[in-house]
Amino acid sequence: MKKSIFKTYEFFLFLLLVVIILAIGLINPTFFSIGTIFDVIRIQTIFILMAFGLLPVVILGGVDISFVAIAALATFPVHTLLLKLNYEGGIWLYYLAGIIIGVLAGLLIGWLISTFKLGIFDLSLGMNTMLYGFVLFFIGSVTNFDMPTGMVDWHSRYLISVQSVVGQSFLHISFLWVIGAGILLHIFLRYTTLGRAIFAMGSDKSVAIRTGFNIKKVYLTVFPVMGAMAAIAGVTDAGLQTNFRPYLFLGKNMAVLAAVIMGGASIRGGKGSVLGTFLGVLLVGIINQALVYLRIPTAWMDAFVGVTFIAFAVYQTLETRTSK
Amino acid sequence: MAEEILRLEKINKHFAGVTALEDVDLTINKGEIVCLLGENGSGKSTMIKIISGVYTFDSGTAIINGKEFKHITPLSSIHEGIEVIYQDFSLFSHLTVAENIAISEIVLEGDKRMDWKKVERIAKDKLKRLGIDIPLYDQVGKFSAADRQLIAIAKVLLENTKLIIMDEPTTALSRKEIEALCKTINDLKNQGISILFVSHKLNEVRDLAERVVIFRNGKKVYDEKVTAKDFNFDEVGFLMTGKRIDTSKIEYGVPDLTATPKMEVDNLNLKGKLDNVSFKLYQNEVLGITGLLGGGQSDLALALFGATPADSGTIKIEGKKVKIKDIHTGVEAGIGYVPADRIRVGLFMQHPIKDNIVPVIVNSLVSKLGFLMPRRIKQVAQKWVKELAVKTPNVDLPAQSLSGGNQQRLVLAKWMAADPTVLIMDGPTVGVDIGSKAEIHELMRHLGKEGRGVILVSDDIPELLQVCNRVLVMRDGKIIDEHQTKEITEEVLYNQLVASC
Repeated sequence: MKKSIFKTYEFFLFLLLVVIILAIGLINPTFFSIGTIFDVIRIQTIFILMAFGLLPVVILGGVDISFVAIAALATFPVHTLLLKLNYEGGIWLYYLAGIIIGVLAGLLIGWLISTFKLGIFDLSLGMNTMLYGFVLFFIGSVTNFDMPTGMVDWHSRYLISVQSVVGQSFLHISFLWVIGAGILLHIFLRYTTLGRAIFAMGSDKSVAIRTGFNIKKVYLTVFPVMGAMAAIAGVTDAGLQTNFRPYLFLGKNMAVLAAVIMGGASIRGGKGSVLGTFLGVLLVGIINQALVYLRIPTAWMDAFVGVTFIAFAVYQTLETRTSK
Repeated sequence: MAEEILRLEKINKHFAGVTALEDVDLTINKGEIVCLLGENGSGKSTMIKIISGVYTFDSGTAIINGKEFKHITPLSSIHEGIEVIYQDFSLFSHLTVAENIAISEIVLEGDKRMDWKKVERIAKDKLKRLGIDIPLYDQVGKFSAADRQLIAIAKVLLENTKLIIMDEPTTALSRKEIEALCKTINDLKNQGISILFVSHKLNEVRDLAERVVIFRNGKKVYDEKVTAKDFNFDEVGFLMTGKRIDTSKIEYGVPDLTATPKMEVDNLNLKGKLDNVSFKLYQNEVLGITGLLGGGQSDLALALFGATPADSGTIKIEGKKVKIKDIHTGVEAGIGYVPADRIRVGLFMQHPIKDNIVPVIVNSLVSKLGFLMPRRIKQVAQKWVKELAVKTPNVDLPAQSLSGGNQQRLVLAKWMAADPTVLIMDGPTVGVDIGSKAEIHELMRHLGKEGRGVILVSDDIPELLQVCNRVLVMRDGKIIDEHQTKEITEEVLYNQLVASC
């Protein structure tokens, strides 16, 4: 028989989310509102998008920290150029250009790794510094608040608006990207041979080679996906915040990685799911939001996320140990 | 005339001037089980790789299914229905049984889409052909070695599979599991699939083989039809090594039953593992401990060493009571432990031989200021390499440069350097070829005679009888019997082990 849904890690995460929401709701009832959920989703959208991009890399058994720098590269230079050209259109050109840059950066990473057999983490250390350095040095180091007219009100394009006690709550259209990317990524990972090759490589690389999987093709797919997702997250962030920052997402890579791991992906590779990742990011988001509602100083948030991450890592190790 | 699957004639293969195979002929008929024997370096691995297309041969003729091949490539080999099961089984431990079994076929057919219904269908079909029932949607990593072996066999059972090559398939299996595997192999034979079974272990070769092929130094020295009855261990051993190993002239040490025993164990208990284990190890004695996999003999060894200490019971070493609560106290008490899996837990494979000899005694090799003394380390290492006849030109070479038998000696050297009172060896000759095996046996007997207490944990019955003075039989964590090796035969011990399961 197939694994029962109640025994999956995703279900465990879901229960945990429910328990946390209920617990906080009991202490502070205003937490129970559709508005809170919309808030969490709005804040976490960019993290979910980046986490989706990172997920295949983690399944492959690697850790990349350079995707945040790719996001910066895919937004700020494009913006600088489009401003010079007096672009006044909508956000779509930003998405298009960003995705192209993200894919190219990903292809470069995939090519370097498959050709020179570099370690994924090692290379990403260099990439991260290099790309941020490039953006800051050649393009500029000051946040830019000039927006093309076509993009100015993008941040208030809503999918749903709900009237509640605390006022009007909105769900931004960028949530559609999350849904769309999630479904596509799930189909890719689960229902294509190439997607299964990622799991196979993460499980045992030499066996994957012997089985006849095209290793190079896997690298040249996984990293462009990561780059594209980072670019989408970057452009979305700029649209929502109505500014372009050269140091975009600096230092956010660890939080994304933590969320992916909490979502059930194994840092040693071979394991992970889109739904789990989605829930993992939401979990981090809810915990952060909860700390606000519980009036815990924001400085504690990072510490708290760190502690939760370690707890999850311990849990995963114990689980694999008992299963052997 | 039987239908030929494979015919190799006058195959030659050289590596940088070294001859790996010289004028070797090999034919395999449809539905035939052929056992390929040979020591490490005899050319049998090279042969497997030539048949599977990993290596190309320098000269000779290869005819597969009646077609002549100038070069065999991995793909053409698979297309002709030749599949290899490597020692590591080539499975993905994170993926489900179904996916593992079906994935090769999916990849081979070049499917872009992953059709999970097809995966289930393929997996079910193949398991059905093998007549086994394994839950399809559990992760492979959760299964025992025996089950993974079956999954690996199912994986290579493609539509057109004609020949399955198994490279040392029984290394990780217990005796009962090996019997089950033999049955599966016979089923495959009845379905018309040929098997090339590559092994060191003569026992199972005797039970399985219809034809035995022996390689030595890159040449074929034997190729005959045999039956279990006329299978002669000594003769096969001679053909493999080129040396006569005379088992009748073994000189055992004489245990001193009156002196204080080397080790005295009383009522050792470990929850779920050991049940009131008591025994004595006399002076000048080599004591064997055997049993089926999971009988508790390895747990006993680990408890005595302190890796998984016992919950209760007493251990005396040379009359003195010692408390062994972790590995550190175990070593302090004078216990040395040579694990079966030397590659994973016995040696630092990438590090020099000399650094592999000194870890246990490294505290005695520091200067007054607390720095290591490289010259002393090298001296000590050279002494033990010489003492245990580890074949290496230089102790600075990495441990992985040694052959299996020599690696095992290196682990022994490490513990000998620590001068243990009692040396426990768990399966010291697993995966070691027959020539080195005899030498390790001689070494163990020598250690025992020399006055060191030696405990040998093994499921290799001939080995126990050749090395030990006394053998304890364990089952479910209890010692159920004790034999003086002089008084029993292989047959008796074998039957007792098999009957106990």
